[in-house]
Amino acid sequence: MEILLRTAAFMTLSATAVLPPAWAALGQSAATVERDQVVMRGQLRSGSVNGYSIDTITVAGLEIKEYVSPDGVVFAVVWKGTGVPDLPLLLGEYFGEYREGLTKARNRKPRVREPFRMKSAGLVVEQAGNSRSLWGRAYLSTHLPPGVRPEDIQ
Amino acid sequence: MKQIAPACVLLCLLAGCNSNDDGQGTSPTSGAPNALAISIGTSGVCTTINVLCGAVTICQPGTNNCQTVSDLLIDVGSVGLRVFGSVLATPLEQSVDAQGRPLGVCAFFADGTTSWGPVQLADVVLGEAQAVRTPIQVISPTFGGQSVAVNPCNDMVDADPQETGFNGILGIGLFKQDCGPVCVANSNNTLYFSCTGGSCAGTAVPLANQVQNPIWLLPSGNNGLVLTLPNVPSTGARTVSGSLILGIDTAANNTPAPGISVLLTDANGFITTVYKGSTLAQSIIDSGSNGFFFPDASLPDCAAPLDPFYCPSNPVNLSATMLGVNGAQTVMPFQVANTQQLVQTNNAAFNNLAGEFPIFDWGLPFFLGRTVFVGIEGQSSSLGTGPFFAF
Repeated sequence: MEILLRTAAFMTLSATAVLPPAWAALGQSAATVERDQVVMRGQLRSGSVNGYSIDTITVAGLEIKEYVSPDGVVFAVVWKGTGVPDLPLLLGEYFGEYREGLTKARNRKPRVREPFRMKSAGLVVEQAGNSRSLWGRAYLSTHLPPGVRPEDIQ
Repeated sequence: MKQIAPACVLLCLLAGCNSNDDGQGTSPTSGAPNALAISIGTSGVCTTINVLCGAVTICQPGTNNCQTVSDLLIDVGSVGLRVFGSVLATPLEQSVDAQGRPLGVCAFFADGTTSWGPVQLADVVLGEAQAVRTPIQVISPTFGGQSVAVNPCNDMVDADPQETGFNGILGIGLFKQDCGPVCVANSNNTLYFSCTGGSCAGTAVPLANQVQNPIWLLPSGNNGLVLTLPNVPSTGARTVSGSLILGIDTAANNTPAPGISVLLTDANGFITTVYKGSTLAQSIIDSGSNGFFFPDASLPDCAAPLDPFYCPSNPVNLSATMLGVNGAQTVMPFQVANTQQLVQTNNAAFNNLAGEFPIFDWGLPFFLGRTVFVGIEGQSSSLGTGPFFAF
């Protein structure tokens, strides 16, 4: 039922917007979750916790969770597994901000060897793990639904 | 002048600002045929604080055309030998897919860095052990018509040793291959690519053609490894020298002490850490991270540019419980010092460098003053069958 509603919302958006269809998940409508699933050729399952929902896409050794707020906006993305998912797709308009954070970390010479962590005014991206199983998350720190703490995003 | 100061401090955090050799002594096992010398702060390439480096010999397959490549990050948090093409003078053998197209591979690291380059076959000599023939990654951002900014890894990739502070990475972690079964079964695995005509497409790769942990390919001493490093004073040391020993319980120098704790990891290489009542699953033990990283809101962060690190006014003694999936647990005491004060010592090795992160990363400080056994997946020893850490 939830998926049907979202698909309908996405179609309406596509039909009325002059902009190209959203090419992002983080900060975008939940409809983009299905888009991500299609692009990544993954399996999707949904569940609700404490008022927000988590859509999980599994594909090729990766598990990607998209956290959707009660008003239908993706406020966090978590990935886990072998390799790294298509971050330009998942972070969308925030990918540039992530790249800036990454560039800043890279430009320290020589480099620090630490888990990656960037924090801007509205975006937090963190990554850790070992090369066989990486874990990462990105969330909009100023758009967390009431009662959601960063430690809930795992 | 004000603008110069932070940069200077940062450089000193990142680099061993003094190369004087007043090291803490070498491990007694150095010089054994199954031992490789490893060190911090002893070279002009591996200058980053708490970055442990060593050397291997790389040969053109089946020949005596060899070279020693030094300044490789000794990393139990990744798998596979990866060497910058720019430091390789030895021609290797390009690996190809079933259609004969050259194979490239992305390696993603927890610090947000990524390396890209061809998979090539090399004969690799570890210490005085017999050479093993293995696919390695030759780090080369332009392989397959790609670039630092635009490449199949979807990320900015490592450009050169000057940028990274090492000539490559010797990944000798818990697993046999860098990817494993996922890359056998899936072409969209995000790691392996077939490249032709300037474009690269995801490809499935048999286990044997993936980048390997060279240790498990050894004819003997192939069940794991031991890292042994001396401790340092709480103000750090200019240099540290120790040993990477091949094998577990296969020689006098890799025999575990009685009563050693064996922490089996989960299938992904994670253990659990309980710290101040919080259970942190997905904790890692990683010689390639340069500090302890864990969440503690009561520890003040340093001012920029040291802000990823903790700066308590005085050193704080803490402890956490490390848990394996086999139920084994051990209480681990550790110290967190003021990073600002540490970097002012100009030392390169610290056992109390720490920073903030949501999971627990037992980085290089954990390895100082300790002998750590790393059991490779599926390989048996007197400590059991890997993947495990024992100490």
